[in-house]
Amino acid sequence: MICGSKSPATRRYLYRFLTTMAIYVVLLPTAELAFKHYHPTGILAYALAILPALPIVGAIVVVGIYLGEEKDEFQRALMNQSMIWAIGATLAFTTAWGFLEVFKLAPHLELYLIFPIFCVLAGISSGVLQARYR
Amino acid sequence: MKNELRVLRAQRNWSQADLAERLEVSRQSVNAIETGKFDPSLPLAFKLARLFETTIEAIFTDES
Repeated sequence: MICGSKSPATRRYLYRFLTTMAIYVVLLPTAELAFKHYHPTGILAYALAILPALPIVGAIVVVGIYLGEEKDEFQRALMNQSMIWAIGATLAFTTAWGFLEVFKLAPHLELYLIFPIFCVLAGISSGVLQARYR
Repeated sequence: MKNELRVLRAQRNWSQADLAERLEVSRQSVNAIETGKFDPSLPLAFKLARLFETTIEAIFTDES
């Protein structure tokens, strides 16, 4: 979500964010395979199903940690703006999609796709802001 | 907010990167403040004033 100059806080943020994404890439197929082969039930099923969500929550926490660690107030402001634009755009997009679904004009959008959609929109808003303040 | 950063930098022959290093911020941040696209916080404004050995009012002009 950030490019250009890299402060120590930015480097830590990128490392942590990519780590959470790497964990996600491992946990998602793990949960899928576990359901396919072992057919878990009860609490174990719930725990396995929610497993891939944990690194996503971690990624959100990583953004919060970055905002706490970044000493450059302008870079903090850029991240804040980028997040606000991305949150607004994600809400607008998913709400509009939801109504399209209600009227049978669009296929069902799985809720777990909202975070990847948010990441794409955050990437776009970050790029636009970086270009604006270059 | 209008400011005299470009003039003050020029007087000391500092680049934006030089000033950024002294302020411990990114060059992009210095550029955003200098071009009036971003207003610094009071602590950063005081830091600028101390660095240029002047007052905040001598660097920034209140346009309102």
